[in-house]
Amino acid sequence: MTTQSSPRRRRRSISRPRTAIFVTTVFFIVFYLPLVVVVLFSFNSKRSLSSFGGFSLRWYQSLPDNEVLVQSTQASLTMALLSMIGAVVLGTALAIGLVRARTKLGAFANLVMLLPLATPEIVTGVGSYLFFRGFDIPFSMTTVILAEITFSISYVTVILRARVGSLNPEVEEAAMDLGASRLQALWFVTIPAIWPGILAAGLLIFALVFDDFVLALFTTGVSPQPLSVVIYSQMRTGVSPAINALGTLMLVFSLTLIAVSTLLPRLFGRKGGGFDMITGA
Amino acid sequence: MTTISEPASPPRAARRPSSRRDGKRLWTSLVVPGLIWMLVFFIIGLAIMAILSFGITDDIGQPIFSNTLANYQSLLDPIYLQPLIRAFVYAVLTVILCLFIGYPVAYVIALHGGRYRTLLIGAIVLPFFANYLVRMYGWSTLLSDDGVINGVLRRLGLSDGIQFLNTSGAVVAGLVYGFVVFMILPIYAVLERMDTSLIEAGRDLYGSGPSTFWHVTLPVSRVGVASGCVLVFLPAMGDFVSAQLLGGPSTLVIGGVISSEFLESQNLPLGSALTVVLMILLMAGTLLYLRIARRAEESVQE
Repeated sequence: MTTQSSPRRRRRSISRPRTAIFVTTVFFIVFYLPLVVVVLFSFNSKRSLSSFGGFSLRWYQSLPDNEVLVQSTQASLTMALLSMIGAVVLGTALAIGLVRARTKLGAFANLVMLLPLATPEIVTGVGSYLFFRGFDIPFSMTTVILAEITFSISYVTVILRARVGSLNPEVEEAAMDLGASRLQALWFVTIPAIWPGILAAGLLIFALVFDDFVLALFTTGVSPQPLSVVIYSQMRTGVSPAINALGTLMLVFSLTLIAVSTLLPRLFGRKGGGFDMITGA
Repeated sequence: MTTISEPASPPRAARRPSSRRDGKRLWTSLVVPGLIWMLVFFIIGLAIMAILSFGITDDIGQPIFSNTLANYQSLLDPIYLQPLIRAFVYAVLTVILCLFIGYPVAYVIALHGGRYRTLLIGAIVLPFFANYLVRMYGWSTLLSDDGVINGVLRRLGLSDGIQFLNTSGAVVAGLVYGFVVFMILPIYAVLERMDTSLIEAGRDLYGSGPSTFWHVTLPVSRVGVASGCVLVFLPAMGDFVSAQLLGGPSTLVIGGVISSEFLESQNLPLGSALTVVLMILLMAGTLLYLRIARRAEESVQE
């Protein structure tokens, strides 16, 4: 190596790895292709899933006539909303309690709270199924909600725990020195401080429950069934372009929720929304 | 003593200890509802599962608690053993493919993403929030016999159509598509924090591109690779949606067997035993992951 070729070498060391960039480009195309196909064919005027006949809204127009889908959509929205409320209330209380209470009970609760995150979803599904069977509780929307809350509490607690931990407890003490009770300090100081996180966690749970399949399959009653379960059984019997339309709507819905839950804490000048939780940013 | 040294603030001094006791009671009362909920709806169900796995069914198929090992022994039956092994093989193949696809993607975004880094990582995470079934449905539309890919092939006159669906390849492709995100994120997280001057140093010492990668970059990202492998393996091994929607009878996996034991044939004791075995296998994987994570933490502290 002569000294003349050295600069060229250095430039090459920061040059772009062509193979890796090629793989990445192909990856992004393939990664988004299925979603593009779903959205594209939802506007297909033909029934075919391989050739595009022309732009049409017929599959969207057919959705309101499909009674099963309409009922399931309402059911899924209701279940996601009630699960969200239940999980947020229990999970927020647990997060505050776990950070502040340094007791043996707290350590035990912490362990129990983390378990569902380490348990494969199918195992959680089987456990919930056997619980309701064992106590003769008939499967219905209620059983789905109870199971989904159980699964979601851990998420809420994990998201909020770090937030509560970063709060200065002296602010609560200050409120109490000014005459507030413990409970008032909690309600008027702590909760407002973590409120953006609570909202973000709630939206994330709503999206997760609305899209959840495995746990819903194990705990659902006969009718109305969650939307995922209906799509699953329709897919097993044969595909219909109506699923494309429904899938597109669900896509737009979930992505809007996630976008809001990501932007919300940023509007309040804090990080830690739904997106950050997944990316670890 | 306080009355002498701090005569001005007796109420405060008097309030502190009792309010601290109040605090402890309040914090406990915040923990208890969530704890009880988890114990009732999570732990009891798993306990029933563990006990019932030693149970039998009566003449009309109702589960009865017992103390037999028959359910575990039936795992040696190829009907149950094969789907378990198949799920394992699919999961291993999925991990390998995810590594070979995910590593270059994470590498490019982390080291060459520039100001588009966050945007690109966002684009990777976004489909994760789309309904898993809708994504699988998109795959099956692409791969089906009269689907998009075969349509294009026919129009180009390249083939009369290739059967993708109902093959193991389609199932593994579905699993890779579903879980590759879990491989990219941990590797990205490690590479993003990596000191790039290490690579430049390797090149300055006349290491070729591949050998610099092999001796410098890869060892640094070892921890991310290991976590990614476990995070992909766990859901891939338990998944049955991909096998059921993209595969056929020849691609039955253990998750599918478990769900049909519970939801169709209603042999709850057998289904419980299969779930316990799956859970133990996956828990071994999780423990492995925790060990890796701990070792990573230690190496960061060094």
